[in-house]
Amino acid sequence: MKPQIFTIAKNNIFQSLTIMALVILAMFQSSCEDVITVKVDNKEPKLVVDAFINNLPETQTITLTKSVNYFDTNQAPTVNNATVLIVDTNSLKPFFFIPKGEGKYQFTPNPATGDTFAINHAYALLILVDGDTLTSFCKLNRTANIDSIRLVDVVGNGPPFNTTGYYVELMAKDAFGKGDFYWIKTFRNDTFLSKISQLNISADMGNTSTDVDGELFIYPIRYNGVNDFFRSYKEGEEVRIEVHSIDAIAYAWFNLVRNENQNGGLFATPPANIFSNIIALNKNPKYKLGGLFNMSAVVAQSIKIPK
Amino acid sequence: MKMTSRLIPIFNLFKPNFAAVIFLSSLFQNAYAQNFTLSGYVRDSITQETINKASIQALKTNAAVSAVMQKAQSNSYGFYSITLSPGNYKIVSSAPGYPEMEITVNGTANQNITYNINLFSRPDDIGAVTINAKRNSNVKSLDVSVQSINGQTIKKIPALLGEPDVIRSVQLLPGVTTVGEGASGFNVRGGGIDQNLVLMDEAPVFNSAHLFGFFSIFNPDAVKDVELVKGGIPANYGGRLSSTLDVKTRDGNKSRLSGSGGVGTIFSRFTLEGPISLTPKDGSSQNQNLLSQLKNSTKNRKTPAKSSFLVSGRRSYIDFLAKPFLKDNLSGSQFYFYDLTTKFNYSTGKNNFFISSYLGDDVFKAAGLFGVKWGNSTVTGRWNHVFNNKLFSNFTYYYSRYRYNLEFTNRDAVFNWQSYIVNNSVKADFNWAINPKNVVSFGAQSTYYRFIPGDARAKSSSLDIKFGLPDRYALENGVYLTNDWNANGKFSVRAGLRMSNFNYLGPGKVYIYNRQPGQQGILDSVYTTKKGETVASYIFPEPRLSFKWQLGNTSSIKGGYNRMVQNLHLISNTAASVPFDVWQPTTNNIKPEIADQVSIGYFKNYGKNSTIETSVETYYKKFQNQVDYIDGANLLLNEFLEADLLTGIGRAYGLEVYVKKSAGKLTGWVSYTLSRSERKVVGINNNDWYANRFDRKHNLAVVAQYKINNRLEFAANFIFSSGTPTTFYTGQYKVQGYTVPDAGSNARNNVRNPNYHRLDLSLTYYRKKTPKRESYWVFSTYNTYNRRNPFSIYFATNYKDMPANAAIRYSVIGSIVPAVSYNFKF
Repeated sequence: MKPQIFTIAKNNIFQSLTIMALVILAMFQSSCEDVITVKVDNKEPKLVVDAFINNLPETQTITLTKSVNYFDTNQAPTVNNATVLIVDTNSLKPFFFIPKGEGKYQFTPNPATGDTFAINHAYALLILVDGDTLTSFCKLNRTANIDSIRLVDVVGNGPPFNTTGYYVELMAKDAFGKGDFYWIKTFRNDTFLSKISQLNISADMGNTSTDVDGELFIYPIRYNGVNDFFRSYKEGEEVRIEVHSIDAIAYAWFNLVRNENQNGGLFATPPANIFSNIIALNKNPKYKLGGLFNMSAVVAQSIKIPK
Repeated sequence: MKMTSRLIPIFNLFKPNFAAVIFLSSLFQNAYAQNFTLSGYVRDSITQETINKASIQALKTNAAVSAVMQKAQSNSYGFYSITLSPGNYKIVSSAPGYPEMEITVNGTANQNITYNINLFSRPDDIGAVTINAKRNSNVKSLDVSVQSINGQTIKKIPALLGEPDVIRSVQLLPGVTTVGEGASGFNVRGGGIDQNLVLMDEAPVFNSAHLFGFFSIFNPDAVKDVELVKGGIPANYGGRLSSTLDVKTRDGNKSRLSGSGGVGTIFSRFTLEGPISLTPKDGSSQNQNLLSQLKNSTKNRKTPAKSSFLVSGRRSYIDFLAKPFLKDNLSGSQFYFYDLTTKFNYSTGKNNFFISSYLGDDVFKAAGLFGVKWGNSTVTGRWNHVFNNKLFSNFTYYYSRYRYNLEFTNRDAVFNWQSYIVNNSVKADFNWAINPKNVVSFGAQSTYYRFIPGDARAKSSSLDIKFGLPDRYALENGVYLTNDWNANGKFSVRAGLRMSNFNYLGPGKVYIYNRQPGQQGILDSVYTTKKGETVASYIFPEPRLSFKWQLGNTSSIKGGYNRMVQNLHLISNTAASVPFDVWQPTTNNIKPEIADQVSIGYFKNYGKNSTIETSVETYYKKFQNQVDYIDGANLLLNEFLEADLLTGIGRAYGLEVYVKKSAGKLTGWVSYTLSRSERKVVGINNNDWYANRFDRKHNLAVVAQYKINNRLEFAANFIFSSGTPTTFYTGQYKVQGYTVPDAGSNARNNVRNPNYHRLDLSLTYYRKKTPKRESYWVFSTYNTYNRRNPFSIYFATNYKDMPANAAIRYSVIGSIVPAVSYNFKF
């Protein structure tokens, strides 16, 4: 597995390299970037499955779209003629997702009837569309324990604090035992910090390959990933942090998405396709596939910055 | 305890046999009796710096037409040996930058004459008088695909920010390409940057770049000469597939204390050199009869010292200059590089000792945020011993290491990480001029490597985790034997064989993977080895062959074949190599890289004194076991790195045209290369051939210097090269709000960046110019016509908060860069 701390280190390295390069080039007053027009041809649109399901008792959505040209700003074409269901592989109980238009298929859990997704159960996604039978498997893993969200009042303006104000620290512990993966989502006044640079994922407490386990997330995860260093939290704002369990495949997938989105300049790696964990069961499928299926257990906590 | 030991079968039994046959038959076919031998060192008359590859020709006197009877070349320590039948000869010696010098010699049977040749440098007269640049030695020598540049030439090439640079000068030679500005290293005949053996006084240098690739680590003031061997690589070199770049430092002036230096836009340099003692015990072993003929050389000159030193340093001051650009948390940053080259030598008649060292670092620190440091260090000790007039030997010990340190601070948490490659080596080389027709070289080398791929530590008030990768150890051995056989004056052959052996040793962890072609390996098992235990061992014969067919005095056809084996691999999948790329040894999972190359060329000189050298060469190269990476491979601090590596084959071929004018008011060269470099790896580009990132079809370099008068010199470079290949995304989709870029058909490097071209100019104004003192200003412009040459075009989401995805043209240097520097010599 690719330990998170290395990815963070790597991002830091490339950031520092970029800063160095910028300083040198500022000296030359010479380096430059400009946006140019390039024509590319997205010859064979992929069928894209966005199936991130969690165990919260709220409506769950799976979205089916098609990939578009890289420079296209229009809404992606949606796929509305599919049959979508998730099956509990233990009990073989199906959960049907009802088409709602705009490519959305929804299911609302009902704890009263036992129609919920449960930790440690393995699930299969099934999609029937245009003659293709698509499937994917994922186990709904346990998640971390949030003790609290700590408020850090920062006066001064030293690194890494670029603005004075409040920062928060997620006091959450990795579940004991190796092989846990998390996606930590931070919401600022209900707005998800959705930039790729704000993606916060963790393998165990940050690094699967150390001997330490089950402790607080390492610093870059519990701190860097939940703050915006260029915009500190202000009085009266609300911060909510959710810790979603993900599986190893989703963890690798997120890493690739991050790498591919931050890939450029002197130290770029060759652009590569990002895998999907959804496969076609039939021979000669109509669609090539993109997207991911993941089942999460979620814990969440909020804090309001006091006035 | 499990052990996997592999012996690679001898792939090509025929070639070494063929070589051996030539070797043996040539060696014993004739008995050369009653000859006399002339041998000694070739040196600069003033500084006593030894001159390597000087040409020494023996011409029969009294003959109606003076015919060259025998010729020799000084070796890389300036030693030569020439064997002649008794009689009167005119000995003509020359080297680039020196006029020809003649003496006559009368040898009787079985006489051994030691004669040290002193050549007179006339730097102030370059261009004014005709200097025979190694008269026709490019045509006559057995060196195939070899290019040399001396320190003087490097200093005359217009350079970025006015700073002359070794590697950037090498990039102007035929067959050499680079990924682009700012990229470290260079690519030779379709090989990767790690496939060049870069030597500094025999010690390998693992990262030749300062400031990424803007400058190289070699201080031009300390450099004597640079030789790039691209093909027909002789058997004394081994360990890298594509080339040897042999950088030799100067010994230091033996007749007086002198210095040189410069103040430039970005850094300053200073060199001090001089004799250590001016009173030698005896009058050296010069033959007195011959010495008397050197009227000029001994006139008004102190006897040179037996030992001398050289200390040469540079430091950049970007951090001072960058202050205004560094705001907020970057203020207080340190950012600089330095290097220090030192050399000491001591010589008696038969023994020469050299100790040289290099230390250099690039440092970038932002207080409380991060600190980065990387650099090389080498130490070389050498002992030249002349056993007799025919047998020369050199014994070398060197230490070389490359390391980097990284540190990130985050309030009370610190994450640091360091990586090293360290090696210690001993080697012995012998040159044996057996008889007029055969010169044998042989030797052996043994190198012990220690790899520390990553020692990392994360520390905070609540936590202290150490998580390094296990160290790796290896022992590399090589023995070689090669013979230069001069058949009949027209045809000569250099046949050699190198046997190389590489052992991947314990202690350490050994990983066994299950592999499907083109896919990430799946860990099967891990076991621990004891110290010194062999995990994997490889032996390869590496046949080397080159030949020359002399067509006339000024033309020849030369060709060569070489097999090279490489056991150190630079793990890097970025467009330009980063200082944090890690070197890995060949292991049970990473196989030795192999390259076979054939090349052939036509060499012809023109002009009254053969001052215009031309050559056309072609080559074809085949690579095996090239290291590549699965998509999205994680190369940094990854314990299971080997699982992410793929193996492929490669091929490269090309045509190189070179025209060089070495005398007159206008000097310089034109080099043009038409080439292709491709790779095929299961798992990449749908398993089909694709162009390497540094592949450039056309490569043109025009390098010219024009001497306007004694005070003014003008120089210009023009470079054109085809765009490098790249990969574009074609599609995109969104998952959980994140943009997922998509490359569609999974093609690799199927699009070309725009062409690259650039003109650099410089004007040198000499304030003072005497043989002893010199001071001059250099005014230069780099990228004179202000072209925005793209290094790459990359695709980005949310670029500057733009709503749509964007294609960004990235130019490392996108405008004209003017510079002024002041240089001096005393």
